[in-house]
Amino acid sequence: MLSSVSSKIKNVSNLQYEEKKFEFWGPTPDEARKIMVNKSHALKDKRTTLKEAVAKHIKDGINLGIGGFVNTRVPVAIIHEIIRKGVRDLTLSFQSNSICPELLAGAMILDPDRVSIKRVELSWWGYEIIGIAPLLRYLATNGMIEMDDYTNYGMSVRFKAAAMGIPFIPVRDHGGTDMELVNRGMMIQCPFTGRNVYLVPACHPDVGIVHVTAADMYGNARIFGALCTCPEIAVASTYTIMTTEKIIPTETIRAYPNLTEIPYPAVDALIEQPYGGYPGACYGNYWFDMDHLRMFRSICDEFRKTGNKDALKKYYDEYIFGCETFDDFLEKVGYKTLKKLKNLDGGQPIIV
Amino acid sequence: MSEYTPFEMIAYTGSRVLEDEKIVFVGTGLPIIAAMHAQLTHAPNLYMIYEAGSLAPILEMGMPLSVGDTRAARKACFLKGLCAVFELTQRGYADYAFIGGAQIDMYGNVCSTIEGNNYNKPRVRFPGSGGAGAMAANCEKTIVIMALEKRRFVKKLDFLTSIGFGDGSPDYREKAGVMGSGPYRVITNQALFGFDEETRRMKLLEVRPGLEPKDIQELVDFELIIPPDVKEMAEPTKEDLRLLREVIDPEGYFLKRVIKE
Repeated sequence: MLSSVSSKIKNVSNLQYEEKKFEFWGPTPDEARKIMVNKSHALKDKRTTLKEAVAKHIKDGINLGIGGFVNTRVPVAIIHEIIRKGVRDLTLSFQSNSICPELLAGAMILDPDRVSIKRVELSWWGYEIIGIAPLLRYLATNGMIEMDDYTNYGMSVRFKAAAMGIPFIPVRDHGGTDMELVNRGMMIQCPFTGRNVYLVPACHPDVGIVHVTAADMYGNARIFGALCTCPEIAVASTYTIMTTEKIIPTETIRAYPNLTEIPYPAVDALIEQPYGGYPGACYGNYWFDMDHLRMFRSICDEFRKTGNKDALKKYYDEYIFGCETFDDFLEKVGYKTLKKLKNLDGGQPIIV
Repeated sequence: MSEYTPFEMIAYTGSRVLEDEKIVFVGTGLPIIAAMHAQLTHAPNLYMIYEAGSLAPILEMGMPLSVGDTRAARKACFLKGLCAVFELTQRGYADYAFIGGAQIDMYGNVCSTIEGNNYNKPRVRFPGSGGAGAMAANCEKTIVIMALEKRRFVKKLDFLTSIGFGDGSPDYREKAGVMGSGPYRVITNQALFGFDEETRRMKLLEVRPGLEPKDIQELVDFELIIPPDVKEMAEPTKEDLRLLREVIDPEGYFLKRVIKE
């Protein structure tokens, strides 16, 4: 978005794009505030099932904020249940992710009446060492989804601004790049220094989904390993569904309150789901399953190259629609695999 | 002289350009390998920052395969999230950005978003900025790794993802509102580039033994600045190769990769 102030990007840019009229792609800051103050903030038991949580909160047209980072602490168990339930016209918001948006994209390719993604505000979508994300490439090059590009800091700090209750935040990146032209941020002149500074709008997902190391039954959560942007997403979202490796006693939380990274009022539904980030990694519990990620990615890549959906459909029939719960899926993955991944984590020290 | 692969030459050269007592913000793959090699040789007090949230980890479980990998968080001095490490970077704590990309132009601007310049329907869609855009903006110096090919060293980028010197004007970065001083080195397996202080254009610094500056110019679509004192690139010794192959990436995750599109 170009304001009256801008960098000199127009001197360099070669890009064809359509100017976007600014709108929030989820609740506005005022709407998000209103929902938060109208909720009960009691310490109450948030434990439920994935089925109930997803049925209650995942609705057509919502902005879904996805936690984790690439293959780390990605909320895969929640994504499986969202696909089983079905949801259309999603806006996805995340910084960097791999299998979560790919799983949703695959579900859309198989049956757009069940799952569809309308647009994505993001920084990065891929598998790092394992390769590019084939279904992102398919959807984007066919013009099937609208994209809104930021840096990893840009997306993270947009969630942070929302979590801080402010409508935008100044940053020192995006300016002078094509992201300044295409995304919904804006260059201004700083009222204090007189220098150019870029602003990015707050991002409030309607529903945030995060997977954490441990939480008490109220949703006070501890995260070990990289926090990614999970605390910001949970606090920014109007509703948050959280899976946790383990439910821990509230006395433990109260003994070391500094260790709580997500406070209970930010959590609406809590599900104890060991291996809830599988095939991603969860520090202190398990490493990522490179073989499973490679297998799913190669199935997606085969579809991208050939247009043949058979193997993709088989994956979903076997691992998602053929399962009632995430535990059913883990049973198909098998104890030996999970044990191996637990060993590969190397027993990182965590306090639960 | 020992035989080495293109990836090994890039990793070794990357290591050479990193100084001791600095903090390097690393992307996945060759940047991590280069920084690990530097730590094991001339820069024992070089520390890495990883965008998922860790500062100065001890990589005793082996090379991280992802910048969010458990291995990259192991025994860190500081472990938070993305906001924390990028804010340290904005504040001035990160000396080097170490990034890759799909295309680079003569002013060190990098594309990692799309190929084909229609944003709504690109010919190829890449993962996107990730950390690179923020690193190139706010680390003090930017180091870019790129394969030396005409289709990558281009006159015009399809999408400017990571800021370099923009159009080359002296105030481009200031008007962009970014904090770092900008492109510093571009590393390929056949040449090492820097940037001319006057024009901010890419300048050939070193070529691989056996090659001439004109061989490099032929692989680049824009005109390079070629000074009279172009040096030969140093080659990895047996000990460097042992570190790379046996200590840093024994599984060959990155160094044994086959080059393909």
